[in-house]
Amino acid sequence: MIALTMDGRQAEVQDGQTLLDAAKTLGIEIPTLCHHKAVPPAGACRVCVVEITGGGRPGLMPACAYPAQNGLVIDTNSKAVRASRRLTLSLLLSRSPESEVLVKLAQEYDAQPLFSSPTPQPPAPNTQHSHGSTGTAKTRQAVAASKCILCGLCVRVCAEVIGPSATCFAGRGRGREISTPYKQLSDVCIGCGACAFLCPTGAIDPAEFCSHPIEQIPNEFNCGYDVRTPIHIPFPQAVPNKPLIDRENCIHFKTGGCGACKTICPAGAIDYDMTDEIVEEKVGAVIVATGYQLLDPSIYEEYGYGRYPDVVTSLEFERMVSASGPTEGELRRPSNGQPPKTIVFLQCIGSREEQTGGKPYCSKICCMYTAKHAILYKHKVHDGQAFIFYMDIRSAGKNYEEFVRRVVKEKDATYLRGRVSKVFPRGDKLIVMGADTLGGGQVEIAAEMVVLAPALLPSAGVRELAQKLRIGYDQHGFLSEAHPKLKPVETNTAGVFLAGCAHSPKDIPDTVAQASAAASKALGLITHDRLTREPTIGIVNQATCNGCFECQTVCAYGAIGPREIRDRRGTLLAVVAHINEGLCQGCGACAVTCRSKSIEVQGFRDDQLYAEINAIGSSAPLVAALPSGRHGNGSEK
Amino acid sequence: MAVATRLTSPQDLAEFRDYLRSERDEKATCLAICAGTGCRANGSMELFEELRRQLDAEGLTGVDVRATGCHGFCEKGPLVVIHPQEVFYQGVQISDIPAIIEQTLRKGEVVDSLLYRDPVTKKKCRLEGEVPFYAKQQRIVFRHNGTIDPTSIEDYIAAGGYAALPKALLEMTPEGVIDQITKSGLRGRGGGGFPTGKKWAICRAQPGDEKYIICNGDEGDPGAFMDRSIMEGDPHAVLEGMVIGAYAIGAHQGYLYVRAEYPLAVSNLQVAIEQAHEMGLLGDDILGSGFSFGVEIVRGAGAFVCGEETALIASIMGDIGSPRQRPPYPAQAGLWGLPTNINNVETWANVPVIIERGADWFASIGTERSKGTKVFSLVGKVQNTGLVEVPMGTTLREIVFDIGGGIQKKRKLKAVQTGGPSGGCIPEALIDLPVDYEKLTEAGAMMGSGGLIVMDERTCMVDVARYFLAFLADESCGKCTPCREGVDQMHRILTRITEGKGREGDIEQLEELAGYVKSSSLCMLGGTAPNPVLSTLRYFRDEYEAHIRDRKCPAGVCKALVRFRIEAEVCKACGLCKRDCPSNAIAGEKKQPHVIDAAKCVQCGVCYEACPFGAVVTS
Repeated sequence: MIALTMDGRQAEVQDGQTLLDAAKTLGIEIPTLCHHKAVPPAGACRVCVVEITGGGRPGLMPACAYPAQNGLVIDTNSKAVRASRRLTLSLLLSRSPESEVLVKLAQEYDAQPLFSSPTPQPPAPNTQHSHGSTGTAKTRQAVAASKCILCGLCVRVCAEVIGPSATCFAGRGRGREISTPYKQLSDVCIGCGACAFLCPTGAIDPAEFCSHPIEQIPNEFNCGYDVRTPIHIPFPQAVPNKPLIDRENCIHFKTGGCGACKTICPAGAIDYDMTDEIVEEKVGAVIVATGYQLLDPSIYEEYGYGRYPDVVTSLEFERMVSASGPTEGELRRPSNGQPPKTIVFLQCIGSREEQTGGKPYCSKICCMYTAKHAILYKHKVHDGQAFIFYMDIRSAGKNYEEFVRRVVKEKDATYLRGRVSKVFPRGDKLIVMGADTLGGGQVEIAAEMVVLAPALLPSAGVRELAQKLRIGYDQHGFLSEAHPKLKPVETNTAGVFLAGCAHSPKDIPDTVAQASAAASKALGLITHDRLTREPTIGIVNQATCNGCFECQTVCAYGAIGPREIRDRRGTLLAVVAHINEGLCQGCGACAVTCRSKSIEVQGFRDDQLYAEINAIGSSAPLVAALPSGRHGNGSEK
Repeated sequence: MAVATRLTSPQDLAEFRDYLRSERDEKATCLAICAGTGCRANGSMELFEELRRQLDAEGLTGVDVRATGCHGFCEKGPLVVIHPQEVFYQGVQISDIPAIIEQTLRKGEVVDSLLYRDPVTKKKCRLEGEVPFYAKQQRIVFRHNGTIDPTSIEDYIAAGGYAALPKALLEMTPEGVIDQITKSGLRGRGGGGFPTGKKWAICRAQPGDEKYIICNGDEGDPGAFMDRSIMEGDPHAVLEGMVIGAYAIGAHQGYLYVRAEYPLAVSNLQVAIEQAHEMGLLGDDILGSGFSFGVEIVRGAGAFVCGEETALIASIMGDIGSPRQRPPYPAQAGLWGLPTNINNVETWANVPVIIERGADWFASIGTERSKGTKVFSLVGKVQNTGLVEVPMGTTLREIVFDIGGGIQKKRKLKAVQTGGPSGGCIPEALIDLPVDYEKLTEAGAMMGSGGLIVMDERTCMVDVARYFLAFLADESCGKCTPCREGVDQMHRILTRITEGKGREGDIEQLEELAGYVKSSSLCMLGGTAPNPVLSTLRYFRDEYEAHIRDRKCPAGVCKALVRFRIEAEVCKACGLCKRDCPSNAIAGEKKQPHVIDAAKCVQCGVCYEACPFGAVVTS
């Protein structure tokens, strides 16, 4: 451990740490510019100078790069320090007056841009995008000279952390600038964007000097409207609210380099060697709540989704107006970034649709969320006008109708009953051609944005999951409930319950209600000591079962499994079929399949059936024909 | 030249030396021709070839002609010294060869026209020792320059070289070597003046087996060529010093960093390394001592900043030549993070002679805190320019007047600039200052690497400061803000002042920037960059004020501020100024006072220099 005195207080740091580390332990703030904790220090900008007044060679030294030594006495805010810092900022400000980070720092030290600017002139023609003698194209002005403060973080991170060394300093002294070797487009730049990320002034753009186009990772949660880093928290309020690493795009997993996240994580929480864990649990109940996805409206070419950037889906619109979205809640046209003054919402895109590609059912939630979107739109664009093309307005919930009425009256949204035939561009607007059946005739609206309400579909892969769980689904993929009126949250398979849009399109209040019901049913199953079941279930005669397990194959509910028969000494005598009473639904498929006639369904045993038939056929009163184990030739079970 | 087999012991070496000496006749005539870069530019190699050719043609094949290292008296080159008499000929041309052969070699008489004439006594000097330029020098570092062929290891050995090497390797311990160097008081000759023995001890004390030594031959100061002449003229002295230093520190690999602008030094060093290797004086198991050491030459690439030790180390490693923050110092962590001892060429060249003759002998030369000799490049407005080696403590007056012969054209001394762009000016009033690390620093100047620029009244001190700052602004690596921005801004202010656009407050701003750059720069390039400004402001503030307030350049140098005029009463109408004027700006008939046309005049000052009567004045 190293002990030194800073501003009159004792600090202790590890061997190898710097004066800046010592300041951090004492909570002393020292401004820096060219320093970043993920990158080895350079001590270049001199903003972080502190004064050594004793215990070593006296003078001004950079705190970020000067190693801590025993007995040093340091003043972090002496007159000399402040005078030096003021001139450093003044000189840097003269070079880059547009840099906000400099302007802010300069105010604290009363530094003015007193000097003539040394910024080089705009690039001469031969640094434009032209081909050099080797055939490699020259870079464009990769760095905005007026913003670059020459801190060198981009160069250092590329050389010492990521690895490729794609950027470098070009020139010497006052002519120094950031560029690439020989000012040529870089073949080694991997487009990771670390340089742009670290740049304190936003002066560098790797697209300007990378020889291949840089693909950024679209942020899936924001529907691709912005980009994300490989290590990211998937969405706000994620549970757990921790970042995950996208291995396919992570530089460390692709090249072995970088590792910056692990370096700077103060909790040391990053472990690149973690692997997926397969966890096996034995459970008594499963609730399937796999949610929904939206129909891809590009199948309807007449609306232009996928072709015109201003035609978006309702989910994309939702992200655009969200404060945590790609534009932090400002509604902007994807085509030109301006707020849309006229917006048209199209309902029932793919719902209530008999034709190929569409769904015949109503997606239930779209009328209400479109009304909500109309309100949000007016909040963002006060002088905007919203139009909504609809077939019927389904506002059947509590206060839903009043809500829609309010949208019409207070928010000035125009509801047009009719379908839209075509959306096409004219100038910088989109013309929406539709019918107004109540007003009579066709309408043409020059829209700046068109929002489609696509049909709700069950999530991808739900059919395969249903087969594994042995539960039913309909032709659309929605999971089947046991009874539409009386058992809306149960399936035909005992212990498997449904909630939410996996079952059918519904909104949040209904989903919550259904989820509570499913949870109650599940709790009801597992909180009792004993399980109450219908008695009409199958039973295997283990003496006659020959262990062929054909019954297991045909059981739709996975209720049949093997059971070992052992004698008292533990020797295995036979493996026979066993029916799980909890799962068996009494369908009887196993009974008819069993070749040795070892399975019978309680209440529908052969002797019982014969007794019923005999009773119907005989002249004895019906009372005597009640099924009972005493008649017929069935054995007692 | 004898071809020797590998020397595997000190006895081998001693025997070989005896053999060489026995083969050479001390009394045989030898013409030593200066073949340093300066005299080469003056045609000394053509002189050498022609001399050899004519001597052979005359049948004088027994006369040895030797191309040696720089003799030092560069003002008077090409130089030929005839041994063993030590007859000194200066300004020798090919046309003089027949006279030399006929009169001197055949008849034993001197060729009067080739002798040096002492401007003070007005007498001709026959022998080298009589020439005042040499008489006052004590040539220790330059002990072999001028007498040996630098491309001949036999010359070096015969002259007594490689005597310190076996003594150190086989008779002394590494600690003993360091002790001798420490006791001698040798300090870094590159400018830092750090005690060499102390640096070696720190490096030796570092843990680990892998250490390096480096010879800094980057010599970037404009006009400095001391190290060049040492590397060109006596490369083995440097090598011998490096092997001894490596032994003391415990390094087995060394690097000679030579600036690429010194091709002759590089090639002579390369030859020396190969020869030393062949003879077993470099490489594995040197002289059977068990100690191995190899050395590699690395060439610079045109950056003054690479003379700074951490930037030099970065350059050797293939990184961009920018300094890094110290500590850790190279002695602790240098090349590839390992302990590295880096010393200047002149420092290394002193090592063999200290080991051979002892620390006490060396410490007896010089002042209390600055021991030994120092090589200076004496240039500027002085009569005798060249390289001079004097004991520390010699006064600047002695150097400028006794050795340098005083100011050209009988003008007055104004100041002496020492230490190149990192140094400062010593005004005429302080000319009795001795050359000593501390004394020069106290006066606001610096020993530096040995540059000594003599200035007369026609030197504008503001222009001098501007010149050095232009150099530094160009050479700044650009890494740290104070040097990159501050030096550039200081240069701009000075340029404005010399253009007559100075403003009230400029001097104060210069002083503020100077203090800032000095205190906050990352390395010593920036750290010493303000010195020329600060020292000229200290002693010649009035000149700055004249430029700013009066828009006048008292020295008549700054073109925007000076006008030349011919005083009619003094003008003798000799016509020299009119003939020499490059812009045809001077008009005048015979016997009529001449007149300068101000519209055509470009203020070059040629008329001022040409007029023998002082009729041209500045206003």
